[in-house]
Amino acid sequence: MPNFVTYTYEEHIINSQNKKEKAFLAKFEKEAPALNDAHVIVNPYIINPLSALILFKTAKKVTATMTVHGKNNAREDIVKSFGENTSHAIPVIGLYEGICTKVSVSLSSGECKEFCIKGEALPADVCRCRNVMTSHDYFGNDFMFLTPAGKNLPTAYDYKGEIRWMLNINTMFDLKRLKNGNILTGTHRYSRMPYNSTGLFELTLLGKIIKEYRMPGNYHHDQFELSDGNIMALTQDFSTDTVEDMIALLDRNTGKVLKTWDFKDFLPQDQGGSGSQDAHDWFHNNALWVDEVNKSVTISGRHQDAIANFNYETSKLNWIIGDPEGWPADMQKYFFKPVGDLTKFDWQYEQHACVVCPDGDIMAFDNGQYRAKTKDKYIKNKDNFSRGVRYRIDTDKMEIEQVWQFGKEWGQDFFSPYICNVEYYADGHYLIHSGGMATVDGYASDLLGAFLKVADPGVDLLSRTVEEKDGVIQYFLEVEGNNFYRAERLAPYHDQENLVFGEGKILGELDVTPTFDTIPEVEEVMEIIPMFHQISIHEEEDKFIIQGTFERGSLVVFVLEGKEDHGYFINTAASWHLAMCSGAFLEDDERTIKHNISKKGYSGKYDIKIIIDDKKYQTGVSIFC
Amino acid sequence: MIEEVTTAQYDALDKKGPMLVEFYSKTCGPCKMLAFVLKDIVKNDPDLRVYTVDFNENEDLKDRCGVKGFPTMLFMKDGAEVSRLEGLKQKPMIVKELEKIKN
Repeated sequence: MPNFVTYTYEEHIINSQNKKEKAFLAKFEKEAPALNDAHVIVNPYIINPLSALILFKTAKKVTATMTVHGKNNAREDIVKSFGENTSHAIPVIGLYEGICTKVSVSLSSGECKEFCIKGEALPADVCRCRNVMTSHDYFGNDFMFLTPAGKNLPTAYDYKGEIRWMLNINTMFDLKRLKNGNILTGTHRYSRMPYNSTGLFELTLLGKIIKEYRMPGNYHHDQFELSDGNIMALTQDFSTDTVEDMIALLDRNTGKVLKTWDFKDFLPQDQGGSGSQDAHDWFHNNALWVDEVNKSVTISGRHQDAIANFNYETSKLNWIIGDPEGWPADMQKYFFKPVGDLTKFDWQYEQHACVVCPDGDIMAFDNGQYRAKTKDKYIKNKDNFSRGVRYRIDTDKMEIEQVWQFGKEWGQDFFSPYICNVEYYADGHYLIHSGGMATVDGYASDLLGAFLKVADPGVDLLSRTVEEKDGVIQYFLEVEGNNFYRAERLAPYHDQENLVFGEGKILGELDVTPTFDTIPEVEEVMEIIPMFHQISIHEEEDKFIIQGTFERGSLVVFVLEGKEDHGYFINTAASWHLAMCSGAFLEDDERTIKHNISKKGYSGKYDIKIIIDDKKYQTGVSIFC
Repeated sequence: MIEEVTTAQYDALDKKGPMLVEFYSKTCGPCKMLAFVLKDIVKNDPDLRVYTVDFNENEDLKDRCGVKGFPTMLFMKDGAEVSRLEGLKQKPMIVKELEKIKN
């Protein structure tokens, strides 16, 4: 029977990397090349096209110094030394795209060799730097890492705005450097709409994924490394009616969830709603910051315009920074009273990325979406502003003072209704990233950038990142083509292991995907599924995704028939996500639906069938679990 | 039994005892699914009276019942609403609500 169902299988990227690493290391050991014949592997870990690995052996133990030469002058050279050894593996980070980058290696024995390494081509639609303003004196050879908020890719730019690092997989949300020098960011593996991925990747900047931490409630927005190495990450419990209102504590070694916190335990769900709030996504937590001294976690609830702090041992609410208007009387004790120069004071609205400064001050990116608690006072985006803000709080007197802000004076030219972050470097030295800018015909769009197409007439999607030091803008980066969730300035190399060999691990577990008890009894037909539906089945090691296009209001159930049958009801009603912080999983046709099914709980062979209204179709695809 | 009723037919019903009234729309996927769930429930409980009402064609009745969307299930006893469920629900949750009006 002819079939219009597309089936694909994708090996887990960690397994692909493990195989490739084994192969190039086996060849290296077999051939044992000297520096002159060194093995040069471009993009050794498949996902970083601007990286390479240089492998060679020396008869005696020597140290090696590698230089990635700058395109313009020697000040741009990235230099890194590696310890004494006879077997040398040199990670090369920061190749220029499309040209041969000069990379030299010199040994303590006096031997040296110059390589010309051409990075792989970047995708045609890569997000380019449109403007950059800084100096090498200020920015040095650091890169500005931008993480995607759409189908764009994580990309890093040098002080000239050149792309020097990129992943070709759509990892998402926060990106942080861990204490061991690795980075931690959200995986690209789809789990649930609108933007939940399987969990977190810990990887080197070379692109080697050390671990995936899978989470039963999936991952969204942010994570934080604790002093013992364990990780707190934002999640939810899909068996409840609400989302984006939980934190999970992950064991760094096993990936197991050690503990969870549910904000419903200490915050009311029906109070203080921002303009984007709905009952399902009542809090929309987009950040966490852990203070182990005070045993507290500060969280950022976009949909309550609230930065809240709670004790992680008792789950007791300590305080809330936010406009107290509309909150009930019994909650007012948690709010602060503004003091100081009130002519300069503004509350934050629909904020992102709370940061606790070393002195206890609280910073955040105040998106300012709606900038009011009641509908009659909402401000249009084109008349609004976004900013970085720093508040000083006195938790004894419950007083708050605004001690710094950047962005209000730029008005709509720095306005991002969603996403974005701030970073604290030192007092008076901050990063402010307005990554969610979208304009239509030159004015701030009423729609979020995730819902706009840059190819449409009059539409501009961009990201502006500023670093301010003592009131002076020292760095300005404008990137076009899409929105970027966060910015993080990092050096390409760090003082610990920049290269880690050995098998990457897939830790933790996904949840059992909830089924629907009732499977409609409809006629099973021996017919081809109509082309319109564009059914595709994408299988991975631990899950599979069924995707199709269906008319609104049609009955759709995905059925797995095996030793027991499982049904998955697919809601074809129109859905509008108010808070699309990452459009990575959005499809062009709003009728296209993708449903992720975890293999957890399955055993054996299952035939995939699809009920569409009054017919049950065979897909011809079976899954073995 | 499951029976579709109009506003006039609903008004004329003998409402004594327990009954389930479901407001649905012909263009609603969850409503279509709920129809199978209710059919399944009635199969095991043939004495249960389920009345379905087209949301779009019975505005007066849905306003009188305070129904805002579809599907909405009203669990009634002796003509009075005891509880309601909004949206598509699984069989155990509906059966639990039915227990309340049967006892």
